[in-house]
Amino acid sequence: MAGNGNAPLLEMRYISVSFGGVRAVDNVSIDLHAGEVVGLVGGNGAGKSTLMRALSGAHRPDAGEILIDGAPVTIANPRDAKALNIECIYQTLALADNVDAPANVFLGRELTNALGILDDGAMEDATRKLMGRLNPNFTRFKNPVMSLSGGQRQAVAIARAVYFEARIMIMDEPTAALGPAETAQVRDLIRQLKNEGIGIFLISHDIHDVFDLADRISVMYHGRIVGTVKRDELSIDEVLGMIILGKRPDEVSREELASLNG
Amino acid sequence: MADALTGAPAPARAERRSFGAAVAATEVDLRLFGMLIALVGILVGFHIMSGGKLIQPANMITLAVQASGVAIMATGMVLIIVSRGIDLSVGSLVGVVAMCYALLMTDWLPALGLGIDHPIQWIVALAIGLGIGASIGAVQGFIIAYVGVPSFIVTLGGLLSLRGSVWLLSSGAAVSGLQTDFRRIGGGVLGSVGELATWAIGVGACIAIVGLIVYNRRQRQRFGFAMRPIWAEVLLAALGCAAAIGLSAFANASYLPAGLATQYAVEHGITEPAGGLKVPMGYPWPVLLVIGVTIVMTFIATRRRFGRYVYAYGGNPDAAELAGINTRWTIMKTFILMGLLCAVAAAIGSARLNGATLDVGQSDELYVIAAAVVGGTSFAGGIGTIPGAVLGAFVMQSLAYGLSFNGVNSPTQNVVAGIVLIVAVAFDTFNRRRGGGR
Amino acid sequence: MRNRRLAPITAIAVLILAACTSNPPAASESAPESAGASQAPAASGSQAATGDCTVAVSWNNFQQPRWAAKDKPNIQETVEAGGGTYIDADANLDTVQQLTDVETLIGQGADVLILLAQDTAGVGPALETAANAGVPVIAYDRLIEDPSVLYITFDNVGVGKAEAEAMFEAVPEGNYVLIKGDPGDPNASTFLPSGWDEAGLQDKIDSGEITIVDDQFTDAWDTQTAQNNMEAIIDSANADGTQIDAVLAENDSTALGVVAALQAKGYDPIPVSGQDGDTANLQNVAKGLQYVDVWKDANELGKVAGAAALQLCEGTEMADLTIPDGLINDDVAPTAGMAAADFTTPGPDGEPDSGDENTVTSFILQPQPITADNLDLILDSGWLTKDVLCEGVEADSAPPACQ
Repeated sequence: MAGNGNAPLLEMRYISVSFGGVRAVDNVSIDLHAGEVVGLVGGNGAGKSTLMRALSGAHRPDAGEILIDGAPVTIANPRDAKALNIECIYQTLALADNVDAPANVFLGRELTNALGILDDGAMEDATRKLMGRLNPNFTRFKNPVMSLSGGQRQAVAIARAVYFEARIMIMDEPTAALGPAETAQVRDLIRQLKNEGIGIFLISHDIHDVFDLADRISVMYHGRIVGTVKRDELSIDEVLGMIILGKRPDEVSREELASLNG
Repeated sequence: MADALTGAPAPARAERRSFGAAVAATEVDLRLFGMLIALVGILVGFHIMSGGKLIQPANMITLAVQASGVAIMATGMVLIIVSRGIDLSVGSLVGVVAMCYALLMTDWLPALGLGIDHPIQWIVALAIGLGIGASIGAVQGFIIAYVGVPSFIVTLGGLLSLRGSVWLLSSGAAVSGLQTDFRRIGGGVLGSVGELATWAIGVGACIAIVGLIVYNRRQRQRFGFAMRPIWAEVLLAALGCAAAIGLSAFANASYLPAGLATQYAVEHGITEPAGGLKVPMGYPWPVLLVIGVTIVMTFIATRRRFGRYVYAYGGNPDAAELAGINTRWTIMKTFILMGLLCAVAAAIGSARLNGATLDVGQSDELYVIAAAVVGGTSFAGGIGTIPGAVLGAFVMQSLAYGLSFNGVNSPTQNVVAGIVLIVAVAFDTFNRRRGGGR
Repeated sequence: MRNRRLAPITAIAVLILAACTSNPPAASESAPESAGASQAPAASGSQAATGDCTVAVSWNNFQQPRWAAKDKPNIQETVEAGGGTYIDADANLDTVQQLTDVETLIGQGADVLILLAQDTAGVGPALETAANAGVPVIAYDRLIEDPSVLYITFDNVGVGKAEAEAMFEAVPEGNYVLIKGDPGDPNASTFLPSGWDEAGLQDKIDSGEITIVDDQFTDAWDTQTAQNNMEAIIDSANADGTQIDAVLAENDSTALGVVAALQAKGYDPIPVSGQDGDTANLQNVAKGLQYVDVWKDANELGKVAGAAALQLCEGTEMADLTIPDGLINDDVAPTAGMAAADFTTPGPDGEPDSGDENTVTSFILQPQPITADNLDLILDSGWLTKDVLCEGVEADSAPPACQ
C-alpha cells in the first residue's frame, strides 16, 4: 500500500479552479506521501475545500496536473477519483438522507450477488462491523440517515471512506459535528490509517487537531498556498499568523504582529 | 484498511425492539395498509350507495381493467418524481404509441406483406410499439439528463408535439379494427385467462409468497440479524395465501355473458344446463399486466442498483454524484422506462378500444401523476413506492367508477377526484410531519 | 377541442411564417366598392377590368381533416367552374390570427368572404373589416350572430332529430341509455337533446314506451371516457338485471366508445346512434355494430357556399340567392326550398326567444341518417371508398353497399 520509489504518492501541480471569473484556487502545488498526514488550514474561502474537491473529482481544475506515483492522471469526475483509490469525506457529508446507513456506505459501489441483485444482507453486515469500530452505540441500520444524529451521520460518512481500499484520503472537517469522545475516536482512526500507509489530507478549523495529527501543514490564503511547513518548525501562533495575514512569519512586519497580539 | 476494521469483534446483533405493537413485529408498511383500507372503504361506501350492487366480481374486474393503464404508468412516474423530475408527456406518448399499434396492424405491416391474419403480426406490432415508446422516452431523457433542460419543459413540449404527431400519423381520423389476439391485451370477454389458469396463478402466488418469506428469513439468519417472530411469519404467509387464492376465486366468480356462454357450450359440445352454463372468465390480461409490472418495477426499485441510485439521487443529487454514480444515465433510464410503460398502457388502451382515436391517453398525465402522489410519492424527491402508486391509481379509478356506476355525471366525478387528491396529500403531509420527517 | 393543445405550437409556427411572408399584396386591388362594381362594367369602372370574382375563405383550422379534404375542394371547384378565383387562409384555431387573415384576404382583393369562425363572438372585428371594404360575408357551418351574414350550414337540431328518429324506428320502445358529449358544449347539452325531443323522446318517456337507464355526459367528447362510463352503466344494469336495448350517443367519438364497451362486455350488438360520418363509425355501421350515423355531407355544403359566393359577386341581393338546380343531392336540399330563407338565430345568449335574436339569410341543408341500408350514399359521394368502408366486413352479413 505504501508509495513506491522516490516519487511522492500524490502531486498536484499548478492547480487553478475558477468559478465564473473568481479564482478559488490559484496556481497551487501540493504533495502528499504515503503514510503522511498533511494538514490544510486557512480561513473561510481560502480555497482548501475547492482544492480538495478538485482532487476528489467534484470540480474539474482549469489548469494544472495531478500525478500519482509520479504518473499523470486525469480526474474528470468522482468515478475517476474512486478508481484511483482516492476517498473523500466531504464537509457536507454528501449523504442521501432518504436511504439507510448501509445504502449510503455502499452508494455507487453496492454489493450484489451473481445475478446483479443487491445483497442488502451483506451490505448491512459489513456496515454493522464497520460501525462497531466507529460508533459502537449505533443500532439504526434500517432508518433513513436523515433521522440520525450529527455524530451518527458523520460516522456513516467516515465508514463509507474507510471501507474501500483507499490510498489517498481527504477528510474535510471530519470532527465538526462530533462530541469529545467521538472526536477522540476519529483521531485514533486517522493515526491507524496513517500507520497503514495511507496518505491523508486533513482540513480542519481546529488548529490543535491539526498540530496533533499532521506531519506537515499547508496554509492557504485567498486561493494560494502561503507556505507548507513541518509541524515542529513553527509554533501554533506562527501558523495562526500565516492563516490570518497570509504571509510567512519571516515576511510579517512588527506592526502586523503587534496588531495580532493586541 | 478494511481488514483493520472488520477484524473487530462483531457488534451486538439483535436490535432492541419494543414489543409495544405486535403490528411492528410483522414489519407491514402501515402507510400502504392504510391506503388499502381507504380503498375498501370507498368501495363499500359506493356499494351501499348503489343499494348493494357494486361489489361483484364482474364490476370489480371492470374497475381494475379501467385502472390498469394509469396504474402501469404510475409505477414509472414514481421513479421519475422520486428523482425530482416530472413527465407531462405520458398521455400524449400513449396516444402516439396507440395510434402506431393501430396503423401497424391495419396499414403499415400489411403493406410490408404481414397481414392482419398472420399469427405473429400482433407480436411484431407490439414489439415495434414498445420500441417506439422506449425511444421517445430516451430522446426526452437524453435532453433532460445530458442537455440539462428541465424535465417539466421537455415533457411539456412532448405533451404538445406528441399529441400533434398522433394527428399527423392518422391524418386526423380514428383507426379501428385490430388483430384479435392483440385485443386480448385489453381484457373484456375475449381477454381473460380462464378458470384453470386463474387457479394456477393463485396457487403459484401463494407458493411464491411462502418462498419469499422463507428466503427472507434465511437471509436474516445468514447474517444473524433480528428476525420476525415465527407467529408473524406464519400470519403473513397465511394472509398472503388467503389473498392470492381468494382473489383467484373472486375472479373466477365472473362469468361469460349468457349469449357467449351458449356459444361456448356449443363449441365444446356441452349441453347447457337449465339456467344457463356458467363459464368462469378469471383474471383479465390487463390486470395480470398490472400485477406483473408492479412486481418487476418493485424489484427494479428496491433490489437493483438502478433503483437505489434513483432514490439516492432524489434524496440528495450532489451526494449521488459525489458517490460516483452516473446520475445522468440514471435519469435518462427513468424516462426510457417510462416510455416503455406508456407503450404497455397504450397496448391496453388501444386493445380495449379495438383501435385508436386521436384522444387516446388524453389527460392521462394528470391521472398518472395524481395516482403517484395519492400513493405517497413526494414532489420533494426521494420518497415514494411502486405499490403505493398502483394503489393510488385504484383509489382514483374506484372513485370515477363508483360515481359513474351510481349514475353521477362526469363534472361531479372530476370535482370529487380533485378534492380527494388534495385531501390525500394533505393527510399524508400531516402524517409525515407528525411522524418525524418521513 | 383536443386539437387546442396543438394551438400554441402551430400558432408560433404560423406567426413565424406570417412574419416571413406577410408582404401585403398590391393594395390597389382592394377597392372598397369592388363587390358592387364588379358585375356592372358600365358603372364607374374602377374594377371594370374583368368580371372575375375572388372568393376568399378564412378557415379556423385545418386540424380537423374534413375542412381541407372535403369543404375546401368543393368550394374551390365550384368557384373556379364559375370563372372565379379562390384564395384562403388557415388560422390554426387562433382567433387573433383569423382577424389578421381576414385583413390579408381582403387586402388580396376578396370580393366575397366565406368565414368559418374560430370564435363566433371574437370574429366581430373581422365583420367590421369586411363591411368597411364592402365585402359580403358567408358564415360557413358555424353561426355568426350578425344580421348581415349569409348562414350556410346543416340543420344541427335536425341532426339530433334524425338520430332519434332512426333509433325509434329500430327500437320503438325499451330501455335506452343516453350518452351525451361535453357538458360545456351547447350542442351536447341543448341542441342535440332538443332534436331528440323533437323526434319524440320526451313523449315516449312520458308514455312509458322508453325508459332511460342512465344519462351521462362525456368530458371533451373523449372516446375512452365514453367507454369507461358505458362499462359502468352496463355493470350497473347487469346488477339490476336490466337489459339495455339501445344507446342514443350524440356523436361518433362517443359512439365508438359505446361500441367498444359493448364488445368488451360481450353484449349482443344493440342499436347505437352517432353523427359526423367518421370513417371508423361508418365501418361500424357496415359491420352492424352501430345502427345509424347521421351524416352531414360536407361536399354538398361546400358546393352551396361556392355557388352562393359567385352569386354574391354578381351583385345578387342575399334574399334573392338560390341554389342552382342539380348542384346538390336532393336528399340534403333545405326543407325551406332552394331559395335563401330567413333563419332566426338564438342570439348571443344562446337562448331562443330571449329577445336578442337576429334574423339572417340562410341555406340550412338536411343531414342524412346513414344505416346499413343506404351506405351506398357514402360510396356515391366519394366520402369513402368501398375498400375502406367495407374493411373487415364478413361476407355473409355484409350490407348491400359492401356486396
